[in-house]
Amino acid sequence: MDPETFISKYEPRKMVAISLAVFAVAFAILGFTYINTGSPVRLGVEFTGGTIVTVPVIESEGELAAKLAGYPVLDLRDVGHRYMVQMGPMSDADYRQLSAMITSEYRDPEIKYMGPVYSARLIEQAKTYIPLSFLFMAVVIFLIFRTPFVAMTVIFAAFSDIVIAAACMTVVGVSLSMGTVAALLMLIGYSVDSNILLNMRVFKRKGKIEDKIAGAFRTGFAMTTTTLSAVVALFLVATFSYLVSPAFTQINILFDISIVLIFGITAGLMNTWVMNSNALRWYLARPKKAPARRQKR
Amino acid sequence: MTEITRDPRIIIFFAAVFASLLILAPMPSEDGLKTRLKYGLDLEGGSWLQLKLQGAIIQPQVDPIKILEKQFGDAFGAPVEVEWRQATTEYHITVEGRVTRAQVDDLGYPQATVTPRGEATRISIATSPIGVMMNYLQTSLDSDVRYLGPDPISFEVRSNVTREALDALLAEVGGTLAPGEAGFSEGVSEDTVDETKLILDRKLNRLGLADIKVRVVDNKFILIDLAGVTVTDAQEIVGKPGLFEIRIQTKANESMHVLYGSEIVDVSLPSGDRAGNWGVPFTLSEEGARAFQKAAIDTGATKNRMDHEVSMHLDNDLIFSAPLAQDLAASLEVAPMRSMIAQVGPDSQRAHELYIHLREGALPVNVEIIGSGQVTAALGEQFKKQVLIAGILAMLAAGFMVFYRYRRPKIVVPMVATSFSEVLMMLAIAALLNWQLDLAALAGLIVVIGTGIDHLVIITDELLYEGKMPSGKVYLARLSSAFGIIMAAAATMIVAMLPLFGMGFGAFKSFALITIAGVLIGVLIARPAYGRIIGRIMQEERQ
Repeated sequence: MDPETFISKYEPRKMVAISLAVFAVAFAILGFTYINTGSPVRLGVEFTGGTIVTVPVIESEGELAAKLAGYPVLDLRDVGHRYMVQMGPMSDADYRQLSAMITSEYRDPEIKYMGPVYSARLIEQAKTYIPLSFLFMAVVIFLIFRTPFVAMTVIFAAFSDIVIAAACMTVVGVSLSMGTVAALLMLIGYSVDSNILLNMRVFKRKGKIEDKIAGAFRTGFAMTTTTLSAVVALFLVATFSYLVSPAFTQINILFDISIVLIFGITAGLMNTWVMNSNALRWYLARPKKAPARRQKR
Repeated sequence: MTEITRDPRIIIFFAAVFASLLILAPMPSEDGLKTRLKYGLDLEGGSWLQLKLQGAIIQPQVDPIKILEKQFGDAFGAPVEVEWRQATTEYHITVEGRVTRAQVDDLGYPQATVTPRGEATRISIATSPIGVMMNYLQTSLDSDVRYLGPDPISFEVRSNVTREALDALLAEVGGTLAPGEAGFSEGVSEDTVDETKLILDRKLNRLGLADIKVRVVDNKFILIDLAGVTVTDAQEIVGKPGLFEIRIQTKANESMHVLYGSEIVDVSLPSGDRAGNWGVPFTLSEEGARAFQKAAIDTGATKNRMDHEVSMHLDNDLIFSAPLAQDLAASLEVAPMRSMIAQVGPDSQRAHELYIHLREGALPVNVEIIGSGQVTAALGEQFKKQVLIAGILAMLAAGFMVFYRYRRPKIVVPMVATSFSEVLMMLAIAALLNWQLDLAALAGLIVVIGTGIDHLVIITDELLYEGKMPSGKVYLARLSSAFGIIMAAAATMIVAMLPLFGMGFGAFKSFALITIAGVLIGVLIARPAYGRIIGRIMQEERQ
């Protein structure tokens, strides 16, 4: 659709409401998960403690499962020429036995063990650092934008990006890992990109607001799709390259990072161009008591 | 064209690219041509261990007199009177009824003098208030306790103890722990961590393992990266370093702690004498030698050596026990001895085992494995290839997107070239600063390719606003407005990455570092130059 018509055709309030509705649904999904599991997203093995093993496929899933019968297997799946097995917490002795068995029976195994001390610490850190990072981001945004209304819309958009990305994770069954945390944090940085562009264009240039927004949208859409295309390339290689060569397999950490970024960047498109651009239209069109501070520069 | 070649931004940019190429150029080394890039374990192959040192630093607030009252009162079931003589640093304890020296020994005061006084017994203990507290903690926790300092009085408990257990223990003698973190914090003192780290370093070096990295986090975690070793072997090697201890028998079935393996400074290869008896010579530190002498005298081993055997324990398992040699017992009466031989008899195999134990069981505290893992070299190699493909595809995809938008090679080619130069510079910085490129870091690098081109799009659009290239002042104003946007975006990205430095022992530190480096390189070096170059190209086009 032509950006001009897309921008000016609809009532700003309606567009903002649509975005808020999407946010509300995403928020409800996290809330529902929280009530059921005590955590807003499903926690991966890094956060719950346990063991992840990947081994080359040399037998059927059933045979591997039988081999691991004594261990607390949570999930066993084919990730492309390899099986990935996730196991819950186990005793030190069991783990030693397991790792000895795996290293002796398989070529090129990958093993990762996260003890309860490690995961408890990680949860604590996530709870402290992620909100802290968000807070810093908010401070930086206030420093950049100064106008409280604008700063609030940008901060809310970043928050909404993260919430929607996290809700999408829950829906498609991706659990929280260090990779997904890193990607969620990165979204904070990304979501601000296009919002800054939008605001600078709207406040620093002369002209009709609809035109300025449309111009910003063309640039913003181009930049977001470039990033998205790089991330999609990463996602495709991480997820499907095993179909091309028998030597390749899925790479969890790359999959985690790229899928969360895809969700979040897409959500960012909506939150910037459907929600915030219309919020700005509404804000600038509202009956004025005092002129917007930065408009004249 | 002369004007642009003298622009400092352009000069800096090309100098940086040139330097990056120099840094990244493969250099001949021992094993063929190699770049200076360092890869993480998940790409290089190897294993890692995350260990937690068991221990706590505590500040008890307790009256030593109450401790003695309780200890002696409980032991003898009789009223006790305790008196502190500051002048002679002695505690005088009066207990109703008869008490033997051996009973006092049991309470952990072998150096006490016991004198009967009418119906009661008087016990004098030459020790300080600190000594009493330490003794109480040591005997009731059955663990090694170290005194850290007087202000406020604090100790290091070298075992897995909880705040609750200590609170209960101190409540029995009317004491408490200081409130909050200060009163009880998990972990051990810096000295102990350093000592443990040093011992692990030595041990791993002895095994001839290359590329070992031992790091300490928060004074209670030790992280070890072992290139080219399976996780099973790694655990065998370091996961359970035994706690080596020398004890001296006090009574038939009891013994007292003398020293830990950390006081053994040197162990020589087992040697046999003419009679075919094997022994392992070892040397104690000065402190260890003094502790050994004191214990030998206190227990009476120097006088009655057959009843007070010296034993060696690894993880509480008895591995060696023998009486003091006659001449050693005599020497210890007069002075501390640093060199000794553990004689095992005619069994050379056993001597060798003891040798290994003596050398390897030297950690001052127990460690718990809280995380570990491994990737084999072949698998890592495969990951590297996949990431390389992902990187190339990401750049092509982003290049395709900008081509789709601008459809002008004169814009697209400099854009993709600038983005590529950013990748080069990021890798060069990583090589220069010895960062380990792991999967996370490379993922960050690929994602930054996307952001980099993003910002080039902003610059280009800002300059091309109204469909044509502005000139002079307008051009500079536009450029600075584009940089306003980019700087703000960069600042938020850097702030957002900060948590990753601390989380999970910095497992994603490399990701954060690469992202921040990418953002800074882009903002400070590559994009200013791009702004100039693209401006110049457009101007020429216009003319």
